[in-house]
Amino acid sequence: MITPAALATIRVALPPLGPGIKIPVVVAIVGGLLIAAAFLAFVAAHWTELARLARLAILLAGIVGAHGLGAWFGRAGRPVLADLCTAVGSIIFGAGIALVGQMYHLGGDFAGGMLLWTMGALAAAALTGSRGALAVALVAASIWSSMRVVEIRDVPHFSFVAIWLIATGLALAWNSRVAAHLVALAALPWWIATALAVGLEPPFVLDDGAALLFGAGLALAAAPWQRASSAGAVLSIYGAFSLAGVATLEVATANDLFRIHTGAVSQPLWAISCGVAGAIFAFAVAATTRRAGAAFAGIAIGLVLLAAAVSTPPQAGEPWLAYAFELCAMLCLVVSGMLDSARPRIVAGWLGIAGVIAAITWAVKGSLLHRSMFLAVAGAVAIALSLVLNRLLPRTRE
Amino acid sequence: MIKTSTTSLAELLAHIPKIVLFGVAALVQVALLTLMIIDRIQVLRDGTEVTLQTRPVDPRDLLRGDYVVLGYDISRLPAGSLLNQPTGTRNPMVFVKLAPNRDGLYEAVSVHADAVAVASPDVLIRGRVVSGATCGSRGRAFCDQLQVRYNLESYFVPEGEGRKLEQARNQRKLTVVAAILPSGRAAIKRLLVDGEPIYEEPWF
Repeated sequence: MITPAALATIRVALPPLGPGIKIPVVVAIVGGLLIAAAFLAFVAAHWTELARLARLAILLAGIVGAHGLGAWFGRAGRPVLADLCTAVGSIIFGAGIALVGQMYHLGGDFAGGMLLWTMGALAAAALTGSRGALAVALVAASIWSSMRVVEIRDVPHFSFVAIWLIATGLALAWNSRVAAHLVALAALPWWIATALAVGLEPPFVLDDGAALLFGAGLALAAAPWQRASSAGAVLSIYGAFSLAGVATLEVATANDLFRIHTGAVSQPLWAISCGVAGAIFAFAVAATTRRAGAAFAGIAIGLVLLAAAVSTPPQAGEPWLAYAFELCAMLCLVVSGMLDSARPRIVAGWLGIAGVIAAITWAVKGSLLHRSMFLAVAGAVAIALSLVLNRLLPRTRE
Repeated sequence: MIKTSTTSLAELLAHIPKIVLFGVAALVQVALLTLMIIDRIQVLRDGTEVTLQTRPVDPRDLLRGDYVVLGYDISRLPAGSLLNQPTGTRNPMVFVKLAPNRDGLYEAVSVHADAVAVASPDVLIRGRVVSGATCGSRGRAFCDQLQVRYNLESYFVPEGEGRKLEQARNQRKLTVVAAILPSGRAAIKRLLVDGEPIYEEPWF
């Protein structure tokens, strides 16, 4: 029971809730979007009839108008609408780049246009604090980076990392969880594009990326600075889910013919270094904070990397050791989440276990009977371990 | 250091009036678009005019949407002295020396890894090798034939007008007048069918 006096004390002690998004604001946003869509449809219907300069003037007016409206909303204390206006202005800026590209027949350098779009949207985000513009910038940057990788095989495309770090700096400066999510999300297409580049083994490189994301996220989360800690927590969530995803992918493609199977040793040194750095980050956190959860996270990362290292070519039979490492890694991920009370990590670990078991069962090559024996042995080992732990660990009251 | 700079950046921006910040954001984006336009105008205004013969392209690259894909006689050329030379990247930049033939059409004379001095009426155009830079034992050397793109390969036309250009191109009746700066950067300036101008690129 909370007494009225205690309630009043709690209310005084706690800061007031932020204004958030109210229903009238949501209705206003929908109205604004409908008007914008109507305007776009009207302009599109007459687009080819308009002179080039008139088209450009419309887009420039759109940019200025959107930012002007954003300033007005910003002054009126409507940050969400101001944010939305800046995002719309940045999207119109992208349309302007496309139009100028069309005017001067610059279709050959689509990626260059994306870089310009990134720069403009990122500048708008930095100046106005718009999360929407940051999202536009990161989407454009991801397309730019992926195109550079595909078109000129610029692998790894480190120029993207510079933009990503600027975006991370903005997320820290704003102390924004939304921005941290955007930044963490933007790391994924870069790693996927890099992994798919010719000559690299996709699952191995993705392992390294997930390891770095997870380990660096844990290290940031352990930082004494609240902003870094908050952003790191978000990064580690994406890292944990990525680790579960790559563990499943590693097993699912373990005996597929399309795997090059050049082995982990032949992977680029920079990629291997990223993976190892991820594990080191996690163990360093465990050592400095004395948290067993971080140690288990480090073990999970290490096991996923080891699984990639011991993965064998399809003709050498089933990679049982790699399967076992992946299962243990996901179990460690669940334990790590439980010890750190990090629910997303627990969910990621369970999803990883489900994914790895499904991938082992799903594999169309090799003997299904052998795989069923492997799963039975793995299950028996897990139950035996559970019994041992049940005896060793202190019991808690139900 | 990161902590200090990000915090001070946030504090600095918090002290500037909103209207100024949003105004600068709009200004930056408008300025970037303007720079893009000025850059192209500079090429069109100051570049040396050269006439290039187009040629049919792969049928899969025919008219897509409202632009025509252009291939040139100078798009595919022998590597010459670059044969077996290391490339550095899979798609290196190259400089192609062009000289006019008896008909006034410019043809490729030689290809170079770096810019070289040329005397009028010859010009140097910069392009990127899209195929032909993956030979040698390590796949990082120039092959004997190079496919080069000059950023002149797309031409946007009003809807429905691409077909006639495509036919003219396939019959080798289409020539392109390009403006080329001394740095090698080029832009399409004019399109000719049977020597008659059909599209003239305005500066704006």
